[in-house]
This record gives sequence, C-alpha cells and structure tokens, in this order.
Amino acid sequence: MNQLNYVGKSLRRKDGPDKITGRAVYSQDVKLPGTLVGRLLRSPHAHARILRIDTSKAMALPGVKAVITIDDTKGIKHGFVETPRYPPDQEVLARGRVRHVGEEIAAVAAIDQITAQRAIDLIEVEYEILPAVFDPLEAMKPGAPEVQPTHPKVRAEVPYSNIGGRTATGWGDVEKGFAESDYVREDRFESHLRTHGYLEPQVTLAHWENDKLNVWTSSMGTFVKRAKLAKVLDLPYSAVRIHKTYVGGTFGGKIDLYSHEYCAARLSMLTGRPVRIVATREEIFSAYRHGQPLIMEIKTGVKKDGTIVAQQVRAINNAGAFRGSGVVVIFLAWGFTMIPYRIPNLAYEGLSVHTNNPVRAPQRGHGCPQIRFAIESQLDTIAEELGIDPVTIRLRNARKPREQLPNGDNVHEGGLIDCIKVAGEKADVVRRYGKGRKAGGTVRRGIGMGVSGYFGGSLIYPNGSGVIVKMADDGSATVLTGAIDVGQGSETVIAQIVAEELFLPIEDVKIVSSDTDTTPQDIGAWISGMTYVTGNAARQAAGNARDKMLQLAAQRFNCGVDDLYVADKVVYNRLDPAQSMSYRDIIALSIATRRGDTVIGEGFWRTMRDVPTHPSLATTKGRWSENYAFSCQTAEVEVDTETGEARVLKALTVHDCGFPVNPALVKNQVDGQVSMALGHAFLEEIMMKDGYTLNPTWLDYRMPTIHEMAESDDADVITEEYVVGKPYRTKEVGEGLVSGVLAAIANAIYDATGVRLHSTPFTPEKILKGLRQLERERRERA
Amino acid sequence: MILYDFDLERPNTLEEASALLRDKGADARVLAGGTDLLPNMRVEVVRPATVVSLGAITPRDPVRETDGTVRIDALTRLATLEGSDLIRAACPMLAEAAHRVAGNQIRQMGTLGGNLCQETRCLYYNQKHDYQFKAPCYKRGGEVCYPYPNNDRDTCWSVYMSDTAPALIALGAEVEIVGPGGTRRQPVEQLFTGSGLTPHALGAGEILSAVLVPPAEPRFGWGYHKSSRRGGLEFGMAVMAVGLTLDGDGATCRGARMVIGAVREKPIRLTATEQAMTGAKLDEAKIAELAAAAAKEINPLPHHGFTKSYIRDNIKIHMRRVLSEATARARGTGTAENGGHHD
Repeated sequence: MNQLNYVGKSLRRKDGPDKITGRAVYSQDVKLPGTLVGRLLRSPHAHARILRIDTSKAMALPGVKAVITIDDTKGIKHGFVETPRYPPDQEVLARGRVRHVGEEIAAVAAIDQITAQRAIDLIEVEYEILPAVFDPLEAMKPGAPEVQPTHPKVRAEVPYSNIGGRTATGWGDVEKGFAESDYVREDRFESHLRTHGYLEPQVTLAHWENDKLNVWTSSMGTFVKRAKLAKVLDLPYSAVRIHKTYVGGTFGGKIDLYSHEYCAARLSMLTGRPVRIVATREEIFSAYRHGQPLIMEIKTGVKKDGTIVAQQVRAINNAGAFRGSGVVVIFLAWGFTMIPYRIPNLAYEGLSVHTNNPVRAPQRGHGCPQIRFAIESQLDTIAEELGIDPVTIRLRNARKPREQLPNGDNVHEGGLIDCIKVAGEKADVVRRYGKGRKAGGTVRRGIGMGVSGYFGGSLIYPNGSGVIVKMADDGSATVLTGAIDVGQGSETVIAQIVAEELFLPIEDVKIVSSDTDTTPQDIGAWISGMTYVTGNAARQAAGNARDKMLQLAAQRFNCGVDDLYVADKVVYNRLDPAQSMSYRDIIALSIATRRGDTVIGEGFWRTMRDVPTHPSLATTKGRWSENYAFSCQTAEVEVDTETGEARVLKALTVHDCGFPVNPALVKNQVDGQVSMALGHAFLEEIMMKDGYTLNPTWLDYRMPTIHEMAESDDADVITEEYVVGKPYRTKEVGEGLVSGVLAAIANAIYDATGVRLHSTPFTPEKILKGLRQLERERRERA
Repeated sequence: MILYDFDLERPNTLEEASALLRDKGADARVLAGGTDLLPNMRVEVVRPATVVSLGAITPRDPVRETDGTVRIDALTRLATLEGSDLIRAACPMLAEAAHRVAGNQIRQMGTLGGNLCQETRCLYYNQKHDYQFKAPCYKRGGEVCYPYPNNDRDTCWSVYMSDTAPALIALGAEVEIVGPGGTRRQPVEQLFTGSGLTPHALGAGEILSAVLVPPAEPRFGWGYHKSSRRGGLEFGMAVMAVGLTLDGDGATCRGARMVIGAVREKPIRLTATEQAMTGAKLDEAKIAELAAAAAKEINPLPHHGFTKSYIRDNIKIHMRRVLSEATARARGTGTAENGGHHD
C-alpha cells in the first residue's frame, strides 16, 4: 500500500499568501539606511574602440560617492560557460572596446537618482567607431567585421569568421541513409528574437560590511551568483552572502552574472555604504540578455511508411557579442533533436556566431521551441506527402519505454507513445486533420500537433543539492534548502515531500531557503531538476531524521523499526497498542541518551552519480541526463483568411513528468508555457535595427495578456511513483512545453489554410502572403 | 522615473490654468490624466519646466443640451465615457472608441481631452535616449529622422494614435477651447495640424475644455474598428470610424464621414471615398468597392513594425466590415458582419 498524504496533492502554495497580500519582500523592497543609488554608463555604439574615459567631472559632482571603470576591477573574466574549451570570456566592464549597444562602460554611486544620472552624463568617453555586423550569415563571411576571433579549435574545422563555438556530432551514415530513403526533403526554418519578460526588473542591493559582502539580487540560483560574484571580486566564497528574497520571474534570464551585480558590490566596497542598482525596463529590453534566434536547416529521409532513416540538422545561432549561453544552445538543439524520435543516422552541426548584438541567455526551453518548431513542421509536411496522418507518423518514430539513446542515456519509463495516443484521441486529431482547408468561408479552423522531449537536472555547477531537516523540540521541522523559489513553487514541493517522509502535518514544516550562508548548496532553479535533485535530497534528509526517531522508539519499545507506525507526530508499536511515544518525547530522549543529538537529518542528491561532469558541448560525448520528459501537444486555431489574423482557440498538453508532486503547480506550469508559446507564435518580437532596440517597452514588445490566453487543457501520463523512503524519478515539466505547442500552432495554421510558415512569429502579413501565393499557384494551374 | 526637476502648479479653474500656461510659455505642459504626458516626460520627448495639473478641477457629468447636443467636459475620464448611459445611448461610437483605449487602468486615469491632445508616436522617440539614438531627432529639436533616414525635410513622420479622435470626427463633433481670448468652438478635425512636430492647433495658453457631439440625424449608422496586433493594451495599427446616414429607402447613402486614425500625423478623412459613397446604394458589392477605394485613398505611414502594404490590406477588409455595420445600424437591422471583432 502506498497511501500518500501530501505528495500528489494540489496543496496551496507556501508563498501564496505573502504574494497575494503584497507582503512578499523582493530585492527592491529590502531597505538599508544610507543606501546609495548606482547607475551604469552604457555604450551608444554597436562596435567601437574606447580611446579615452574621463570620469573626473562626474567624480567632482557633489553627491557622487564613487565612479568605477575597468581600471577599478581585478580584470577577472566570467562566462555563462566556464570549461577548458570555453573559458570565461567577458569582463565586468568594457576594456578598450565595446561590442554591442548598451555594453557597460562605467558605473557611479550617488546620493540619489538624479545625481547618479547627472554623473553618468558627465563621464566623457571618446570612441573610434568600428564596422559592425548584426546578421549571423553576414558575420560568418570571410572579411566580416571581427566581433570575436573564431574559436581556435573551430578554425581548423570550418572557414567562417566570428564562430564562437561549434557542436558537431552524429551517428550512422547519413548519406547512406538518404540513399536508402524513399523520400527526402530539405527545409529551412528561422526563429526570431524574443525575451523573457520577467516582471521583476534586474535589481541588486549590495552592502560591504565587516569584510563581508551581503547581496540581495534577483536570481535563479544564489549559489551560482555567489560563485561568479566572488570570483570577479577575487573574494573567498565565504566572504559573499547572497540573501534570500522573493523573485518575480526569471524564465532563464537571471542566471548569468550581470555587470550591474558586480558594480553594486564594488561600489559598496569602495564607499562602505549599501548600493542599489535597479535596471530600467528599457535597459532590460535593449542591453540585457534575450533568448536565441536560430536558423535551422533540416534534411530528413524517410521510408514510405514515415519511418525516419536519416536526418541532417544545421543550427546557426545569432549569439551576440560574447559567448553567453550561445555555445550551449547549439549543444542543446542537438539534444532536443535526438530525444523524441529514433534517428538511425544523424549528422548535426551547430554554429554559434558572434555579432554586434547584446549577449544571449537561456530562455525557457533553451533551443527546444526553435528546433521542435522546425522538425515538427517538416514532419507534418513529410506525412502529408506520404499520405500519413500526423498521429501515425509520430507514433511510428516515437521512442519506446526503456529505449537506449545514442548518447548512452536511457529514457526509462518514458511515456511518449502514450502522450501521442492520448493527445491524438482527446483532440480527435486524425478525424479533424485536413478538414479545415477544404471548408469554405473566410474563417477557417485547423488542428495541429507537436512533440517534444526534455532533459532534467543535468550536471552543471554546483552539480548537487544538499538539504538539512532540523527537528524542533516540539516535533515540528525546519528545512534548510538552497533551493530558490522563483515562482515555480519549489518551497511548496519540498515541504510536501518533507511532510510525507516525516508523517508531519504540512503546517509543521517550515522552509528556510536560498541563503548562501545558512542553507546547503543547491543546483538552482535553472536546469530543470529541482523537484528531482533537491526534492530527493529533501526526501533523504527528512527520512534521515525520521529514521533516527524511529530507531529510538524501536529501542524503547524493544521492537523492530518495521513494527512502528506514526500518526499525528506519535509513534506507535503495532505489536503492542499500549506502547506509544510522541515526537516531542523522542527528541527529548535523543538529547538525553544520544550525547545531545537534537535530531538533524541530512540529505544529498545529484543526477548520474557515476558520471563526473556534463557532456562535451563540442562533441556531445558523455552522459547527459537520467530524467527524460516527453510530451505531445495540440493546438486548434482559427484564421481569418481575409486579414491573415490567427488565434489559438484551444491548446492541449499531454505530458509525462513522471508523476506530479503537486498537480496544481504542474497545471500552472503548463498554462504558463502555453501562454509563452502564444507570445512566441503571434506577438512577441524584439525589433532591432543596426544593433539598436526599437521596442524596449512593455507597450511595444507585445506580450500576451490574460485576454489573449487560449483555453488550455492538460493530462498527465503517469510513468513513475512516489514511495515513502525510496528514491523517486520526476521529470522536467517547467520549460519544454513551450515547444510542442508552438509547433502545433504552426501545423494548425497549415491545416486551416494550406500556408506553411517557415519562420516565427506567425504574423498576419506572413499568413496573408502565403494565402496569396497559394491563390496565384491555383490560378496558374487552372 | 523622471530624472529631472520641474515645478508643479495646481490651479482651481481652467481660466487660471490658461493664465499659468501663457505666463510660463513653451516650457509649461498641461497634466490631466497623465497617461500620455508622464511617459513622455520620462523618455524626455518633452521636458517641461512647469507642469500645470488640472487635478483640482472636477469635471461635470456629460449632459444632453436642449438642442440634443451632448456636452462632455474634456476632463471626463475615458472609463466614465464607456460606462455612461447617456454616452452609450446618444453616441455609442464614442463609448466604443473610449472602451478600445489601452486597458482599464489607463482608462480610469486618461481623460477625453487628454486623449485628443496626446502626442504623436514613433518607436524611436518614445524611448529614452541615454544610449540608444543619442542624437536628437527632428521632433526633439535635432537633425535626424531615425525611422526615415532619407527624411531631409526638417519634419517628423510620426503617427497620431488617438482612438477617440476618428470617432469624434465621424460623429461631426466639435471641441470647445478656453484661452486668453475667451472660449471658442471648432470642429474636432481642425484641432490637428497634420505636422508630426506640432500636431495640435492650440495657441499659447489654450486648453481643451469640452467636446460637443451633435445629435444623430435620422437613419444614422456608425461603424468602428481598431486594428491592432494584440487586441488590447496597445495603440492601433489603424483605427477606422464611419458615420453615415441613409435616405428613406434604407439603401442610398445620403452622407458619410469616413475617418482613419493611427496611420498619419493626424486622423485622415477620406473625402474622395465619402463623395463616392454619397448617393450610392450601399449593397454588399458597393461596400466592398468603397472599402477598396478607402484602402487606396489612404496613404499610411509604415509604423511600429507594420508595413504600408499590410496596413492597407487590413484597412481594405476591416473598412468593409465597418461600412457594413454602419449600414446595418442605419437600417436599424443591427450588425450584419462582425467577424473581425473579438474581445
């Protein structure tokens, strides 16, 4: 019997009341006396040499307490990736050259906002403008302006300029595979520049006090921030404390170390006063990091029945001026290519190309929405050419449970086949597909389907999570976890697991989280593994405390631990109903008889404990994950064929997250990702010209509002289970689901109109253009 | 955040406000709801030394005067208009237009007068210029035009995006203006200069005091559509407003006002199409023909990422639907086609 009281229940969020009532303290709400205002001077040019910086007038302005440039730094570089192949590549302020509009050149600390702004205006910088390049294909050409030299190891492999990194991998023999295929097709797809749209701005408050740096910063992982900040400041980790705050959304955009975080810290160290820097929304839109637009060339060979024989994929990333996560997205695009379907022969190449654009960060899905949009769009085209329906062709290629992946990983109980079947049945895809195009009228409906797979909890610093569960005298528990709740609900999930393992009322479980000085190290909320990695650590820590208490009770009752059961913080002996002992008494007994042991449980977890590190970004060699999530999503769209205006009526998400620890939180994740996909599909686009951002405001960067949200249904395919005292396997459910539904929307627009869109966003202009092209072709045939 | 100092005045009457404006000269600006002025001050499109707030002045409720004219104080909030029984009954197109402005929070603050007096817009100058586009454009007193680099005419090709102005023009409304010389009235159309640099024809010390909507003629019908990408919380790609009257036969157009906003420096009346419509029998084919003519007559500025050709394509279809709705309303048969409207 596996009777669960908390895990699997849609319990109310721990952070809910604070956030609803406005009591939640975000980094911007932390007030310290004497705080100075920090501001950054940013480059007005996309590419220029800095000939001279003169800060003397700014320094002389009354109310200005400090001004820093690169000369005030230790010159220590940092990077999103820090590996032998891809060492840190970026300084905290520009040194002698700026490579994108908005690059940070200097920072000031002053007594108020207006003085800080005046000081910025008084800094004199002399530039020599250099030629700039913004388009990745232009940047690759020989003789293109050099943003960064092509990586030395890549130089021997390909003849292009500005290549920051390359991923090349594959298996089998694609040429032979194409030769053996009955049908081969090549397509080119493009995705556009989008940003995260976190509501809480980038903000950092730093206070240097008694040789210790205290920092409150909006982030996705305090331990990563600590490591990077300590490094560029040349401080021991123990001298930097990142405090817990609530976080108002991140979506991938708050992992990297940002210049303003360094500047706030350094300015505080120089002035001895707290310094706060809050990025304006325009700065976030025009100088901070966005997601990554990819150009994707896909060649696929299939048998007559739709079985994939060979696939050749090339992904080109417009990576911006520094490495950022540009070399990661080209690795990940390989992964998201290979997860869902069997590809016997694969040749993959990813190129990360430097341009004079702002640096790129991960964005929810990190390459998955882009590459799945391309592959799933092409797959529907192939299916139509072969006369196969969208469900059948996907089932034909979908990975089965316990299949071994070409990289040595195993999908375990991966539920893709069930996901496709359930989605196909619930949305009635086979019966409805193809009807929309044939219907008359100017408002047409269509249905489409998309599949994706996602990894979870891969090995990236700090690789593992620790959790401590402290029992209080009264039998309640305090959990110390480094996990950061960025809105996904980690504190709620961890509390549910601890309550379950300790047989405690959930009200008796309190969480202390994400403070780098008081909580154990944690992987952070950015590698899709918190419920699995930190959750298992919490399970272990709670189990460790429970076992200590049960052992004491068993000794006292003179029975075995297996003979005990717990109800309402009281331990009973099944063999002798007269024997019982409360947690409170057991803890007192522990203190009395076990040399003062107050009952502290500890737990640690990491994925793939036999694997030393992350796979190679360049070759993809090495194990990647032990948690593969799968999903199949559908979208129903309505298209006005006169205006080209399209909208999603209904989205369906069928996913295999293993099992949901909190079904309501999973549903929130699904809806959030559907909403994000709608933004990707129809509305959101960072418009740029010559390196400048044209729409750096919420008004002109159109994110969907609640009014644009489509009806969103979902269903879980349960493949794993939770048993008290045993390790469990949960899978990713927080970012991969932007992908299948994006592809489904593209396929549904095709289904409604016959227009195959090869680029995002799916604007009315593009749909109308496609409809007119079809009309011309029809007339030519007639 | 507005990163410079300014003085704030808070007069008790429009006359006092007018006197203050005249005294302070070009460095003063009027603050009503603030939804246009404050963002513009933040990005420094305007940098007034003095802000004259009308916050101490309470608007009267809209009233119907004895001749049937509806009088609306310029300080009336947009949210008041969309919720007013009088406005919904007497000039529903205005209620609809007010409802289409931005989102509820903005409409709770924004006023009708402020909506008419809003600045023109452009992606480039509606943002801070501390490191992007540092050289001032024509609108900011400089010598460049970022969206139109070939624009060497010392002018500004920005777009006037009021949602209510096209409706008011199509309704034949007038504005009342308080100024140093007393009060004057003029058609709403004449409030606009057509220049992106100085879009409003208001003299020194002049303030909009009221909007006057004449009573509808018999067999009057209206149609209104705001095309936008998101459908809310944004300015229009094109705003279409039509007011027409039919002859006693319920088919022949006796007269019409056809206005398109958000595509030029001012709302544009399509006089040629209006003429072609007058005397024509408004059947389905004719309406489609007139909508096509309207799309041809208008010469939109590409703006906010929309191409000229798509704006025209969009107008051609939505103008047909708008005309069709206006005709149906004039016939008293309700809306015939409203496929493009979803809330």
